[in-house]
Amino acid sequence: MMKQFAVHSSQFAVRSSQFTAKKMLFFFLLTTFYLLLSTFLYSCSPKKESLYRKTMILMDTLVTIHVVADSEKTADRAMTGAFEEIGKLDTLLNFFSDKSEVSMINRNAGSSGVRVSPETFEVIEKAVYASEKSGGAFDATVGPESSLWNFVTKVKPKDKAIREKLGLVNYKLIVLDQEKSTVELRKKGMIMDLGAIAKGYAADRAVGVLKRHGIKSGLVAVAGDIRAFGLKQDGKPWRVGIRNPRQKGEDDEILATIELRDMAISSSGDYERFFVIDGERFHHILDPRTGYPARSCQSVSVMAQDGASADSFSTAVFVLGPVKGMNLLQQMGFEGLIVDKEGKIHVTPGIKDKIEFKRNS
Amino acid sequence: MNLKETVNGTTLGDRLLFILLLLVSFTGIIFIKDVLPQSRDVTIEAEGKLTHRYPLDTDRRVEVGSPRGRFTVEIKDRKVRVTEASCPNKLCELQGWISRGVIICLPAGITVTVGGTEEQKDRKVDAITG
Repeated sequence: MMKQFAVHSSQFAVRSSQFTAKKMLFFFLLTTFYLLLSTFLYSCSPKKESLYRKTMILMDTLVTIHVVADSEKTADRAMTGAFEEIGKLDTLLNFFSDKSEVSMINRNAGSSGVRVSPETFEVIEKAVYASEKSGGAFDATVGPESSLWNFVTKVKPKDKAIREKLGLVNYKLIVLDQEKSTVELRKKGMIMDLGAIAKGYAADRAVGVLKRHGIKSGLVAVAGDIRAFGLKQDGKPWRVGIRNPRQKGEDDEILATIELRDMAISSSGDYERFFVIDGERFHHILDPRTGYPARSCQSVSVMAQDGASADSFSTAVFVLGPVKGMNLLQQMGFEGLIVDKEGKIHVTPGIKDKIEFKRNS
Repeated sequence: MNLKETVNGTTLGDRLLFILLLLVSFTGIIFIKDVLPQSRDVTIEAEGKLTHRYPLDTDRRVEVGSPRGRFTVEIKDRKVRVTEASCPNKLCELQGWISRGVIICLPAGITVTVGGTEEQKDRKVDAITG
């Protein structure tokens, strides 16, 4: 009966006169065993690497860490360490906290230097470097000007007030003493705001912690300041979307995507904090040399080896505009994408082949 | 019947059938793990820990809180908003209705995220800069 069934129901079985019920059973059991074994190995193998992700609110923003690890425990330990590092930097560098070292420096402006932690000293050193290289287009002492604006209550300061504060914006008046580990602002009334470099620096430090925990691949995103290292568990590089500065709907959120491996990327845009008066857009990226919002770009994304550079130079390039900005990127050996005020896109030659533009943006 | 006899006794058809079954089992594993789409949902996290998860297509109001603040999350017509926030500046309320992305309440340390695995796969990105 079984033999008859086998002969009439399968083309393969027709050719096999020896295809018996016993053999079918044997193959069935073998396949079932294989299926169970492969499922077991797939789910229980201790060496299998998976992607783990965790999000926290730190530095007044959303911080997301992705790691590739062989167990949840390893991933958790590394991510917890990285979040703690970012939390520590938040305490040291928070512009809005009276207890931060940055606030101490600001309170002592014009009177004395303040002894700071190695992390605060390092990030200020990097800020001064970015200011020097950009000719002041990036300036961490822009605080007296940015304090005049309020993008929540839509306060545009009087022109006179903006002019009066300009004399207090000058990175050359930051005095760094390496030996004593002190920072001093020379003029009373100067205000240091590390908001345009601290998040990129925090991503760098967090990546350092992940690596010290033995993580070979990961991505740290402190809001839009992102640093990635290694390849994902599927062997592919990390892929980052660049936000469309003039998003109209759900389909055009991303302008382009780019692969990121052992690099950092940061963006500055006029769409993050802004208000409009009589059709004129006033946004939060101020030109330190004028005190008014920089006008030449809609958004700038910069790729560099480290997050602090990507973060600070995205602001600098935004302020400089597409022509001078492109020159600065090439001079620094960075890659970047600039959307100018007309919406025209400029890309450095090094990433032309790596960037993929979305059709609906 | 030993293994050698069994293998020798098989035809090309038997072996092809066997390979086919192996392929089906492989595909099944990958399909279940990675391909099966998941619907878009609303996740609420406090201090990095998941506290609530709801489908976006079911209307509801949920009171959410942490030791640092409270607010209400309203899900309606596949959109989400925050209302009745206890914080002074109410920036989370100003964000209005969203159907994708995140509403962050800084004082309470709570995030409300709209999106799921399906959405991330659609966008094919691990993070967004800007």
